[in-house]
Amino acid sequence: MENQTDIEVTLTPPSGAGGLNQYIPYKMRIANIIEEAPLVQTYRLEFIDEKDADQFTFRAGQFAEYGVFGEGESTFCIASSPTREGYLECTFRSSGRVTKALANCELNDIIGLRGPFGNTFPIEEWYGKNIVFVTGGIALPPLRCVIWNLLDQRDKFGEISIYYGARSVNDLVYKEELEEWKNRGDVKLFVTVDPGGETPDWKGLIGFVPTILEQNPPKSENAVAIVAGPPILIKMGMPILSRNGFDNANIYTTLENRMKCGVGKCGHCTVGKTYVCKDGPVFTYEEVLKMPAEY
Amino acid sequence: MEIKNIKSSDIPAFFDQLIKSGKVVMAPVLKKSGKVFFEAVQSYSQVATDYIQTGFSAKSVVFPKVEVLFSYTKTEEGIELKDSIADIPETIVWGLRPCDGSAFSYMTEFFLRENPDTYYAARKEKTTLIAVSCPKADDACFCTSVDLNPGSTSGSDILLTFMGEDTYVEVMTEKGKAAVDISVSLFTVSEEKDKEEYLAKIDVKFSMDEIKEKIKNAYDSAEWKNVSMGCFGCGACAFSCPTCTCFDIQDEGTQNKGQRLRCWDSCGFGLFTKHSSGHNPKTNQTERRRQRLMHKFKYSVENLGIVSCVGCGRCIRVCPAHLNIFENILSVTAP
Repeated sequence: MENQTDIEVTLTPPSGAGGLNQYIPYKMRIANIIEEAPLVQTYRLEFIDEKDADQFTFRAGQFAEYGVFGEGESTFCIASSPTREGYLECTFRSSGRVTKALANCELNDIIGLRGPFGNTFPIEEWYGKNIVFVTGGIALPPLRCVIWNLLDQRDKFGEISIYYGARSVNDLVYKEELEEWKNRGDVKLFVTVDPGGETPDWKGLIGFVPTILEQNPPKSENAVAIVAGPPILIKMGMPILSRNGFDNANIYTTLENRMKCGVGKCGHCTVGKTYVCKDGPVFTYEEVLKMPAEY
Repeated sequence: MEIKNIKSSDIPAFFDQLIKSGKVVMAPVLKKSGKVFFEAVQSYSQVATDYIQTGFSAKSVVFPKVEVLFSYTKTEEGIELKDSIADIPETIVWGLRPCDGSAFSYMTEFFLRENPDTYYAARKEKTTLIAVSCPKADDACFCTSVDLNPGSTSGSDILLTFMGEDTYVEVMTEKGKAAVDISVSLFTVSEEKDKEEYLAKIDVKFSMDEIKEKIKNAYDSAEWKNVSMGCFGCGACAFSCPTCTCFDIQDEGTQNKGQRLRCWDSCGFGLFTKHSSGHNPKTNQTERRRQRLMHKFKYSVENLGIVSCVGCGRCIRVCPAHLNIFENILSVTAP
């Protein structure tokens, strides 16, 4: 500490409206609202300023801070695919001060957005491979970004399988898209609800996601898996895939921890020495195993 | 670096020239409580000279306890956002201790090396640090254990060491030179002197090199439970710490008008890591105390190559549960 090293200030790409100030949000207009499930909504957001729209790019896996002026900011992944240009979508459950305020917003209201933050899924490295998605509840939104990113260039990938579950039929999100994926013929879809969460006319599977995954194990040859979910699903799902022959370096997850800044400063999201916001949120199981289980 | 001398009797004149420069001058002031805190002052007569350490460090000059990131106003056309970076005043901090000076060099690495922080950069740019060596210390001081000493120049623009009738002036940076140049006639060129006899004697509690090695395996130590047993999670250690940089972002106002604030936060608070689902990755005070200590002595070494504890002793002095950071570090790294 005695020897002060020279500070090399590398200017990162602008992540806020108005240049290099990371804390100034872009202004976004709520262009569409979809009620997905009880307390869960999807907002389509469009940039108010065309210049912002032009310079904003992101890749699958990145997240943003969504802010309601006067209430604060909340962190979610970008749920729409970068292949769909001109807008962003986010899906969130109303549970805290900010998400409740967000849920009370109306069409055409202006909210703030900072980002994109974090690393990305290495989609180009997956060309030619079979892809397995394992997710539950409202952790489908971060993977929906990846799923559409792959489906929009379907011929570059092998088999695509999706294991998705929710507490009840009503809690499943993107119901129309699940139907679409089921019917398109080039996606193996396993949709399940927790025992007791089924309705009389439910035709899907019944059981927790890890159970369904064990009963219908995906082939591990030439395959990568992406697990997203509440922490318990990540902690249970990744070892199952590992036991099924997936290389730990080929099992990906996206971690979520409480965040405030998004740029590795506020300290909330750390897992050991790792900042989920700037070193992640995308990690392989191999990397996760080296971290303390602080997620 | 330039070495100069100023007569100790000329220090008030030098100080008052700094005031006349029009910059905000923050200096230690003795309060009725008997404690010393940094305050904006108008004259050297207000400045405390007999103190071991200030209650808070001077970090709030570059990282305020509460800082407005921007204000927002709803208009007919939409929402107007305005930051207040242009209003940040030029500031001189007088009388910080060498440990606090080196805390600034840590904070600068932390805030600016990667994803440079706009607000920190603007404030640091406008800040000049005039540190004063420590002629005395107390039982909480342990800078000599973290590879610093009561005469370290790291991070400071100028370091003053009182040597009786003379004051030894180490001018470390261009900013330091600019401050000295305001009163150029008061300074004479000096040869290099040994400061040792004018500095406090502070026992070395541990070898930093050994601790750096041993703490690599400390995560699973059973001792974390013992060293955190009394912790209330009050956050006093973090608020008084010169290198704690964690913050919260909160809005204050209505939907029509208000501001977004950045406020100090602490990894010792139970809500710090709590998800809105109720899940909390750092469940209890033991895990939070471990995070704090591991960050200072292990994670910041891995991430930035710097031990982010400067041995100022504030957390020891303020802790209502009498937790002692260097004793804790020794416990969790004991074989």
